[in-house]
Amino acid sequence: MILKDYQEIKGTELKLDEKFVVNANANFSLFLDGINSDSNLNFELKENSTLLLSVIQETNLENTKITANLQQNSTIIVYFADFSVKNCKPQILINLNGEGAKADFHLASLAASNDNKNLDVSIMHNAKNTYGKVDNYGVCKDKAKLCFAGTSHIINGAVKSSTYQNAKIMVFDPNSDAIAKPILKIDENDVVASHSAAVGKISDEHLFYLTSRGISLDEARNLITYGYLKPILKGFNDKEKTRLTNLIEGRL
Amino acid sequence: MSTLKIKNLHVEVEGKEILKGVTVNISEGECVALLGPNGHGKSTLLNVIMGHPRYKITQGSIYLDDLDLTNLSTDQRAKAGLFLALQNPPEVPGVINSDFLRAAVNSTSEEKVSTYKFYKLLDNATKEVKMPFDLATRSLNEGFSGGEKKRNEILQMMLLNPKITMLDEIDSGLDVDAIQTVGEVIKKQKETGKGFLVISHYARLFDLIQPTRAIVMINGKIVLDGDTNLIKRIDQNGYEFIKTELGISIEKENLDMNQVSIGSCAVKEAIKK
Repeated sequence: MILKDYQEIKGTELKLDEKFVVNANANFSLFLDGINSDSNLNFELKENSTLLLSVIQETNLENTKITANLQQNSTIIVYFADFSVKNCKPQILINLNGEGAKADFHLASLAASNDNKNLDVSIMHNAKNTYGKVDNYGVCKDKAKLCFAGTSHIINGAVKSSTYQNAKIMVFDPNSDAIAKPILKIDENDVVASHSAAVGKISDEHLFYLTSRGISLDEARNLITYGYLKPILKGFNDKEKTRLTNLIEGRL
Repeated sequence: MSTLKIKNLHVEVEGKEILKGVTVNISEGECVALLGPNGHGKSTLLNVIMGHPRYKITQGSIYLDDLDLTNLSTDQRAKAGLFLALQNPPEVPGVINSDFLRAAVNSTSEEKVSTYKFYKLLDNATKEVKMPFDLATRSLNEGFSGGEKKRNEILQMMLLNPKITMLDEIDSGLDVDAIQTVGEVIKKQKETGKGFLVISHYARLFDLIQPTRAIVMINGKIVLDGDTNLIKRIDQNGYEFIKTELGISIEKENLDMNQVSIGSCAVKEAIKK
């Protein structure tokens, strides 16, 4: 499928092995309203193209691969909002194949009740001067399991590349199971790289501060959690922003 | 006129007794200066009154008039009319300052405040504390300078209109002009009949807000409760006279003072060790 300026596609209308092409020098946005399980989606970004990909996932997602191949000086920006019930286990791989290719990936995931989620976001730096950034934010409640995995790999010869990984999970209950394991593989010396992982509960000092102003403990928790997941809203239009806000509030 | 009544309060943190029987009353219309060396329990007292979960009350009680606050949650204490301006207000990423302020105003007022009325209140208050209005639209205290954080505390006090306000070193980290601004706001609130309990190590703030009474806390107890001449005396001569005149030896802190910086709670630092 050759993409247009702005497209909205429902997951149910997608072929399982859909291939998307962004033509050279084009600047497109795609909003995917859900992805089907067992999909193998492929994105080809030609030279100097830009794709803003926004996804809202509300349904179960298993055995799914999403791969993007980026040519010279192309850019992919992804906002992936996972508020699915039950499982969400996508494997996302971005190949920065052309010099100057860039990937900027944002994920927000909420795992509650008995959800079992494992989100793998990997970036391959196969060319010089490539840029990759992964920001994963999650909230884990009840008996849910949430894992952020992914490897950012800079191959030998991909000089002047930079890669950043950031994984944070806020844990609500003693039975919640949260894992953050960002991995860096660096086979080149002349690069910039960082990674960070944090898993923990809401700070007692923050809760004390908010409640000391008369805000109830529940409302304080909601304000903090909402603030934590909110950065994902940037990637969506007003209608979807309202939908996401309702989803967050509903699931908390 | 409301009175905050602390009676024989004993408080522990992680098994260590910090407050060893504090008794003190503070009424609306009063402005009480709370003095004492570092690490003797001043900040602890304020945090306990506000219901910080870290501190355990082993004996004694906290009342606001006839309402027993001893076992109430922190938000209920705030609703009853208490306010604590923190020594180190935390940065809470993602929570927008104005959303936070609005939630706070709505929680503490009897009926929901309209958007229009809230922004008018906020606009007036930001002008009075000389805080740029755009700070209200940013994440709560995130990236605020020390002075901006303290102004934000005073702003919250103005919006929430508490009966008794506790200020924990509101002047630390403020420049001379900012102390003047904050001092004037407090003085104005004081004149409307509010009660204040104020910790500060510097006479400058007290000169501005003119307390009505001064109390001195040593070894987890109030050892002096008297007029405001105490402030001047301590500012000039330190706490030595308490040893010689009252025969109370001042317990040395377990902690090397080099590890306690101005603007941090010495008790908390000592416990961290």
